This record gives sequence, structure tokens and C-alpha cells, in this order.
Amino acid sequence: MSEDQDKYIAEVVEKALRGDMDAINNIEDRVTRSKAKAALIKAKRLSKTAAAEAAPAEETAQTDTTPTEKSLNQKVAEALAKKFSGSIDSEDVNEYIQLNGKNWFEIAQYLKDNPDLLFDSLQCITGFDFGEGEALEVRYNLHSMTHYHAIEIRIKTDRNDPKVPSVEQVWRIGDWFERETYDMYGIVFEGHHNMTRILCPEDWEGWPLRKDYETQETYHGIIVPKVKEGWE
Amino acid sequence: MGVVHGDLMTLNIGPQHPSTHGVLRLKVKTDGEIVSEVEPYIGYLHRCFEKHCENVTYDQVIPYTDRCDYIASMNNNFGYAVAVEELMKIKVPERVEYIRVIVAELNRIASHLLALGTYGLDVGAFTPFLYMFRDRERILDIFEALCGARLLYNYIWVGGVSHDFPNEFVETVYSFLDYFEPKIKEYNELLTYNKIFIERTADVGVMPPEVAISYGVSGPNLRGSGVKWDIRKNETYSIYEKFDFDIPVGSGIMGTVGDCWDRYYVRMQEMVQSAKIVRQALKTIPAGNVHQALPKKIRPPKGFIYKRTESPRGDLAYYIVSDGSPIPFRLKMRSPAFTALSVLGEISQGWMMSDVIAILGSLDIVLGEIDR
Amino acid sequence: MGILENKFQDNVVVASMDKLLGWARSTSPWFFQFGLACCAIEMMATAASRYDLMRIGMIPRSSPRQADVMIVAGTVTMKMSLRVKKLYEQMANPKYVIAMGSCATSGGPYWQYGYHVLKGVDLVVPVDVYVPGCPPRPEALIEGLLKLQEKIQAERPLTKKIA
Repeated sequence: MSEDQDKYIAEVVEKALRGDMDAINNIEDRVTRSKAKAALIKAKRLSKTAAAEAAPAEETAQTDTTPTEKSLNQKVAEALAKKFSGSIDSEDVNEYIQLNGKNWFEIAQYLKDNPDLLFDSLQCITGFDFGEGEALEVRYNLHSMTHYHAIEIRIKTDRNDPKVPSVEQVWRIGDWFERETYDMYGIVFEGHHNMTRILCPEDWEGWPLRKDYETQETYHGIIVPKVKEGWE
Repeated sequence: MGVVHGDLMTLNIGPQHPSTHGVLRLKVKTDGEIVSEVEPYIGYLHRCFEKHCENVTYDQVIPYTDRCDYIASMNNNFGYAVAVEELMKIKVPERVEYIRVIVAELNRIASHLLALGTYGLDVGAFTPFLYMFRDRERILDIFEALCGARLLYNYIWVGGVSHDFPNEFVETVYSFLDYFEPKIKEYNELLTYNKIFIERTADVGVMPPEVAISYGVSGPNLRGSGVKWDIRKNETYSIYEKFDFDIPVGSGIMGTVGDCWDRYYVRMQEMVQSAKIVRQALKTIPAGNVHQALPKKIRPPKGFIYKRTESPRGDLAYYIVSDGSPIPFRLKMRSPAFTALSVLGEISQGWMMSDVIAILGSLDIVLGEIDR
Repeated sequence: MGILENKFQDNVVVASMDKLLGWARSTSPWFFQFGLACCAIEMMATAASRYDLMRIGMIPRSSPRQADVMIVAGTVTMKMSLRVKKLYEQMANPKYVIAMGSCATSGGPYWQYGYHVLKGVDLVVPVDVYVPGCPPRPEALIEGLLKLQEKIQAERPLTKKIA
């Protein structure tokens, strides 16, 4: 009986959301009518929060309403598309620019030397693993000390043979950041003068920050995982 | 007089050494006493911080961030809390913002005292070390009265702080500031304008600003080279824009711009500025409930954020990627000491062995932050 | 020793060789400063002005050959564990080890997901005193050192040799 009642209330609330309040007002049983009204209020509140979440996303999607001004990301993406065609992977450049890895070294030099952009400071290189069996990614956060603007660039690579061109000749700190990403994820940076592990020992096995990493059992005879048996 | 050249000698300044500020290995190639190449080897304190962050919840990450830069742990917590709050769009009460600024600046003073004290120890002066530790103990007493711990606080949480001020806290801090400000004069007489110290550090290890920016150096190391860049003023966060303070910049008073003495002097001046900020904050702190905005469950929406804050060593940043669950999907900590150590090889070429130790001390590195 | 007591003038002391040696060895142990991480800062604070370590006879020595006690202060990682063993073997007998902090005792807060952390320094060197805490207060470290002094005092170096 209550299942039919729930279905009936759901139908009536649907009609009311579309604007037809008569269905609710015509319910004779007072308990059912009040239940239907409470369900209607809850449905309206949920749809309002969903709309509110959608609205700021839309607002950030159109960063400016005036067609003459462009955001920094769009300007950079257009400049890159003009000079190095075929290197931008995705059209959505609101939060980051997705490149596909070829010409990355020349793009990096262009980003650093172009007088409008002047990204002279590489803030951080982060490695990223999407999950077991999926792709790996390298993310660069660049910043300019003269124009005070910042940008994020992402490059995806294949999990089984990850290779990305190295930018250590452009920003000197790329040397150590790339060695750390190699140590943690196994991504090889081509053109790096010394691609060795920097944090883990040289003879460590595995790429620790990958999602499918398993700790090795012993290292030079010392047990690695915590042993919990044998406590008094 | 002819010049004698031989083979280069490789010297190992091993992981255990009294002057290396932790477990750092330097492989030094010298031609006699003159150094031609320095290569740092790190990883002796790699404690898998980022792997831990992928397995514990957002509020359980905070004690782990404490232990990365263990000398300035309030600032580590601050940077993390600010990043997660921006991701979740939480607004904290005014009183919480003031408390955070007060403890962060007090911790900046404590961190600089330790850095300068051990720098004096590296170049051979034992007395400033004892004097600065005596004053640092007073700050640690203040923190112990506030949250119960001397070194690793777990104090600044996402959405608030863990404890409010105890009774008579404001008077205690005022009396500390009254005691501390004349001490700067004492340190200047002991160490800063000491002729031997100037001979050892002026004109040594000059870092030009282009080299510093290319190597990603920030904080007092960058300001010592003349670049006026401070995240508290340039990309301001929290309520730093309400306070009036200067950014000290190195200007080559004793030697060249960007030498070790400049970096030391910038830190000394920053302590004065931090004391100024704490005084202004204490005068205008509002009342309120510090636990009001603590979220019941921390589940940031899907997204990512890269947030920078100013720690005593430089530009500390957190890159957090969230997938909607209560556990971070990826958390990367970009530590300022990592970039500061990478420039050591570049600026110590051509100096003598003992100058390398002086340059290393002036960079103020903490191995816990470098290795994470 | 009982029959010889109080038989002489006031400035003559009678004691067994074991007790004398124990007193001499325990009251001035020079420690090998092996500070690795956060506990190293507390060790430095213990040796500095407020909680002075020199008043109980301990001086920091940077060379293992001149030290009696090795205070392992901080997390030991796999990369560092081989060096810890090497330095311990370079110390001269009699030598003692204090594991300071929870990281040196059993891995500390990094025991669960820390692939590179050694779960307790007693996996590579024999430990005499464990001082818990994260980090332990200077008073706790001093108590650990005094316990070590009691342990050294209770040793019978000569008796062992004869028997």
C-alpha cells in the first residue's frame, strides 16, 4: 500500500515541478497531501543546488563575456597553435593546456623567451597516474616573474613506455624535478644528462608512486614491511 | 712562478656530518683546496610522504605535513589548510585568520633563529647558537601553552585551528616581543657586524638573480639577490594585506649583492618585520568561535589546485588533485629547500672547501622537506 | 668490602674495582651526534642552553671513533641503514645505542605505507635504551640517558672476564 502511495506521490511531484500544482492540491487525504508537499520542497531544493553548481561552471567556461578580451590560457593556446601546429591535444583550455609531447622542448623555449609571455620560472613538475592500466601524465606549473601570470601544461604518455622530452636546458631546476618524476613513476625524460634515481636508492625495484606499486620484501637482507608477529 | 696542476681529488662529505644540516651527502671534486664541482646526493630521509597522503584522509595528512619541514611546522600546516579550503570554498572566521597569522609569524621567528644560530656554528661561532636557542625556547614555551607540543604541532586544521588562546596568552606574547626586540641589537653586535664573520661570508657564494630564478630559488635566498618577491605581498593569501610590513632585500652592504652575508642579513631583518606583524595582529584580533567552520566531513569536490604560501625557507606550494572521495588522489608538496639545494653546485665553483660549508649554511635547507 | 669499611681515615675510600670502573664509565659518556630528522632538533635543544647536556658529562663528538654512545635521533631509511651499520661498527668498544623517538624505535608514524622507512633501528644495530615520543621532550631524553648510566653502572666488566 505504501509503495503505491510513494509512486503516486512521485507522479504528483513531477507534475508540480512542471508547473501543475492542481494535482497536489486535489489530494483528499491530508497525510498524503502533506507528504507530497514536503517531497516537492525537497525536490526543488535539490534542483536549485544542482543549478547553482552548474552555473559557476558555466561562468568559468566563459571567462569573459566581451569578445575582445581573452584569458591568458586562450592567448597562449592560440599562439602555440599558430607556431607549432598539431601540438595541442584538447580544445578545452580553461584550466590547463594539454599538449601531446612532440616539440615540447621548442615550445618550452618559446614560452620562456617570448616577450609577452616570459614564463621564466618553472615552479613544479608533478607526475600523475590515472589509475591501474591507464595513462601516466606529467604536469608543469609555470610562472612569470615579470608579468606575474601563471599557467599549467599537461602532457600524457603511455604507461608501458613513458617518454617525454626534457626541459632541463630551458629551466635549470627541471634537472632535479625530472629525476624525481622518473624515480617515482618511471617516466623517462629524453635528453636529460643524468637520468638516475634521486630519492630512492639506485638499486630500488619498482616505481613507488604508481597505483599498482607493491613494496619489495627485502632490501640488502633487511625486511622492508612491518613485521607484526612475535610481539610479547 | 709556475702553476702546478694535478688530478682532481674526490672528497666525500658523507651523510653523517656535523655541518650538513641533516643527512646530506656532497661529492666534492677539488683541485687542492679549490673546489671545482659539488654534487649533492639526497634521499637519505625519503619518508614516502606522498604515498602516505594517497592512503589517509585529508585531516590525517596534517601531522605528516608537520614532519616535512620540522622547523617551521605551523607554516606547513597553514599552506595545506589554505589550499584545501580554497578547493572546498570554505570561509574561516576572522579570529581564526588572525590566530593563524600570529602563530605563523612566531614560527618564522623561531625558524630564523635556528637557521642563524646553526649558521654561526658552521662558521665557528658557538656563542650565538646558545643565545639564539635560549630565545627560541621562549617561543616554544608559548606554543606549548597553546597546543601542548614543542616542535610538531598539528595545530592549523582545515576550516579552523585546534585550540583557542588560553588565559593570558596575549600578555605572554606581548612580554615576549618586548623581550625579543632588543635582542636583535645583541645579535648584531655578536655576529652580524663581527669582522671575522664578515670576512668569511661577504663576497662569498654570489648568486646572480637570473641564476636564482632559473633554479626556482625563492624566499630569503632570492631576496638576498635583490629580487623583491614575497608571496605574502605579491599573491597575498589569508589576511596579510591588512598588515603593514616591509620586504627586506639584499643590497650588497658588506660586499656584493647576493652573497652569503646578504642572505643572512635578510633573515635577520625578517625577524624584525615578523615581530611587527604579530604586534599589529594582537592589537586588532576579534572575538569569535574558532571551531565554527570546521567541516564535519572533508570531501572536496572533484578538481585540482596549486596553491603557494610563504614559508620561512621560501615558496611552499601544494598541488592537490581530488576525485570527490575523503582521501586525496594525488598530493604533491613543492618544497623551497629542494630548489635551494639544487643551486649549490652552481654557486660554489671556484671557492675553497670551508667556503662551501659557509654557502651551504646560508641556503638554510631542511632535509625533511627536500626528501619528503 | 664489608670488613674493610670505616677502618681507615675519612679521606680513604674503599670500593670494588667493578664499582669504580662502572662509576668512571657511566658518568662521562660522549655521544655521537647522529641526528637525522626532527628528533635531531630536540637533541640540539637538549644540548643547548636550557637543558644542558654537558652537566651530566656528555659532549657531542662528530667522529664515531671518539664516541661511546650513539643516539639515533630520527627516521632511518633504507638508504641510510647501511651507513648506520657501518658507523656503528666503526665505534670502539664499549659502545651503546639509544634509539630516540618513535621512528627509531619501530618506524614511527611511517610504519604503514612507508616503503623506504626502516621499521626500527634495532633491525640493524643492537639497541640499549628506547626513548619514546614524537619527538621526545628534552626531559625524556635526559631520563633515557640517566637510565643508560644506570645500565652501564650495573655492568660487571671485570667479573665477566675472570669467570
